[in-house]
Amino acid sequence: MAFPAVSHKHVKFAFLLPAVVWMLAFTVYPLFYALYMSFNKVKLTGPDTFVGLANYTRIFGDYYVGNSAKLTTIMVLTTVTLQVVIGLTLALIMNAEIAGRRYFRTLFSLPIFVAPIAIGYLGHTIFFEEGGPLNTVLTAVGFRPIPWLSHPTWAFVAICMIEVWIATPFCFMVLLAGLQGLPEEVYEAARLDYKSEWQIFKRITLPLLAPVILIVFLLRLISALRILDTVYALTAGGPGTATEVYSLITYRAAMKFFDFGYGAALAYVLLVVVMLILTFFFRRMREIYE
Amino acid sequence: MKRWAIVGLSVVLLIVFCGLVDAGQPFKGKKITVSVNAGGRKASSSGDLFEWRDKWQELSGAELEIVEIPAGEHLEKIVVDNMTGANRFDASIIGSFWYGTLIAEGFIIPTEQWYNDPRMPKWPRDLMPAQEKLYKWGGKWYGVPFDHDGQVLYYRKDILNDPKWKAAFKKEKGYDMPVPPKTIDQLIDMSGFFNGKDWNGDGQPDSGIAMHLKVGGQGMYHFMTFSAPLTVLPGDKVDRYHNVYDFDPETMEPLVNDPGHVRALEMLIKLAKTGPDAQTGWALREAWTHFLIGKAVFCFTWGDLGALAQQKDSVVQGKLGIAVMPGSYEVWDGSKKEFVKLKEPNIVGNTTGGSWHGVIMKASKNQDVAYHLLAFHATKEVSQWAAATGWDARDPGRKVQFVKPYGDMDVSEYVKMGWDAEDAKAYSKGFHDVFSQKTTLPYLRIKGALEYWVALDRNLSEAMIGRMTAKEALDRCAKDWNEITNRLGKNDQLKLYREAIGYTP
Repeated sequence: MAFPAVSHKHVKFAFLLPAVVWMLAFTVYPLFYALYMSFNKVKLTGPDTFVGLANYTRIFGDYYVGNSAKLTTIMVLTTVTLQVVIGLTLALIMNAEIAGRRYFRTLFSLPIFVAPIAIGYLGHTIFFEEGGPLNTVLTAVGFRPIPWLSHPTWAFVAICMIEVWIATPFCFMVLLAGLQGLPEEVYEAARLDYKSEWQIFKRITLPLLAPVILIVFLLRLISALRILDTVYALTAGGPGTATEVYSLITYRAAMKFFDFGYGAALAYVLLVVVMLILTFFFRRMREIYE
Repeated sequence: MKRWAIVGLSVVLLIVFCGLVDAGQPFKGKKITVSVNAGGRKASSSGDLFEWRDKWQELSGAELEIVEIPAGEHLEKIVVDNMTGANRFDASIIGSFWYGTLIAEGFIIPTEQWYNDPRMPKWPRDLMPAQEKLYKWGGKWYGVPFDHDGQVLYYRKDILNDPKWKAAFKKEKGYDMPVPPKTIDQLIDMSGFFNGKDWNGDGQPDSGIAMHLKVGGQGMYHFMTFSAPLTVLPGDKVDRYHNVYDFDPETMEPLVNDPGHVRALEMLIKLAKTGPDAQTGWALREAWTHFLIGKAVFCFTWGDLGALAQQKDSVVQGKLGIAVMPGSYEVWDGSKKEFVKLKEPNIVGNTTGGSWHGVIMKASKNQDVAYHLLAFHATKEVSQWAAATGWDARDPGRKVQFVKPYGDMDVSEYVKMGWDAEDAKAYSKGFHDVFSQKTTLPYLRIKGALEYWVALDRNLSEAMIGRMTAKEALDRCAKDWNEITNRLGKNDQLKLYREAIGYTP
């Protein structure tokens, strides 16, 4: 028995169908449903009530949102800058011919494989103030113990330290790949013009690597804006509201307090902010490189 | 002929045997799914379900699937399960503060219909009065006894009764050290006296008190228990000004920022300074450990600590004093808008905590099987085992769980489980007293209770770390509470609140 002939033109649609269905079901539909929720008061049981922009206007009068937006911005800018700088430094070191380079590369990449929530919980031990490993080392070398989790500023620092530790390997690996892709001939020519390595880095490496750095920065920025796991596990936003980041507020609104409409509105505001950042960066990149 | 007779007899015996088995296993072939806070096989409420699963399956003939969910996500999972119609859970081990949400949404059902069902295990209805209130709504039983939470004051009786320290205290403070402290002021004085001194002889300064004050570390429970004597005006019944704590039952206006609460928070901040600075970042584990390793004289918390103190190699076993929380000679009177003085300290019992217990889902197709499981865990035998077991987070609150003369249990039952006899007696007396006080801290069981408490928790923490004054923090908390009430519907919330505290206008 012969199968009915199917033209090649139609077969491709059959292969695309699963991906399209997947996208529609798990990306497009939730996106539109969240948008719908953000304009409604969503009840656990019973019909939803249309509230127009009420959920959005509420955001701007919410003290906790204002506080979290400020904290998140400072945290993101601090951690992402540190991640890129440290990642680039490590990449430059690991790009040079040094003994045991392969092992160091593996070692520096390890944190990327650890779940942030696990590190958050591990942080309870690391940052334990009464005899935790970090304070034990500090006191052993003559410093006073640091109130890592009970002081607002230090708790913020502790979260930043974990974030830097977790995400630096990503920057390191991508930037190392970028460095290895730079043409050797350019360096050979540059060594005739510049004597110091610093000049070569400044005049040659940095400009050539700039698109990669920008992409790494951008990817990390977007990811860091959604920071939740480490804060949730380590400080739960405290002490006080010292580490109450934006995603924690959003998560609590929707999933703890069942205020789905408000949670959706908060999520959409973040989405818009991320889209604006993306647009700005891509426009700048086009202006520079095209 | 003989052969046929044997075969016939065998068939009859087989039928009788099968019948017996069926009678003993009334739910053979059925399966139920129960959600519980994640804790594993040897911890928290989940541990008990695992521990007794085989026995219950053998008894009921049914199969039990235990779904462990992190405590912080448990309610959301139940709600989503019901909302979406997935209806995966037949029963859940819930916190009492979820009642408002689960009752308002009609997710759970009363259980009294099975009390006289001959298939079901029988359990004595012997809960302490304060506990019984948590298991009922509108006069109907929804919950089946499991865990009974309340906070008591643990203290090191060996240190407080040491003549050397007694004399030093009198010299420094000018009065005899009362053991245990009767008032909050005395507690602060005593804790302050011991804080920073090396009273355990390890060469290091030790603490007065250990508390869990971290955001999300259940610090708001400390505040509720601690503040009750200053804020709950005793009276014969619940009216607008008596036996209320959270809201004015006439207007649903928050009481959390009245002068009683503000003074209580100022005193709690003072008390916190008699313990490690780090405790503003401590959850239960850190605070309990500090007491259990012998670094703090006081800790006020749940029954778990008493049971954990009995573990092998414990340095505090046999040294425990346990008492109801200290009171106050002054209490805020909302009708007079002033603090009134009392002849005796206002001692207020409490049921602070989750009092985790089983409820049955309305959407379950196996409600009777689910009840059988919950009733099994509420039987005298299982309940007594649970009360004396340290790791299971099931604290005592029933007469069958207290030692004589406070209950039915012989102290030897506790000793068999590794307890020190004196600790066991103090434990029973402490919890018996806390659940049988004439005045008890009302329990917030309205819809969104968790959200109100999270607002209280984060604002308390702001005051604890000094970023806000007690008044500022509680004013902002009251503002948050009003916002939550308005969003959830003021009239609906008021109705639920009145039902929950038993207030009749």
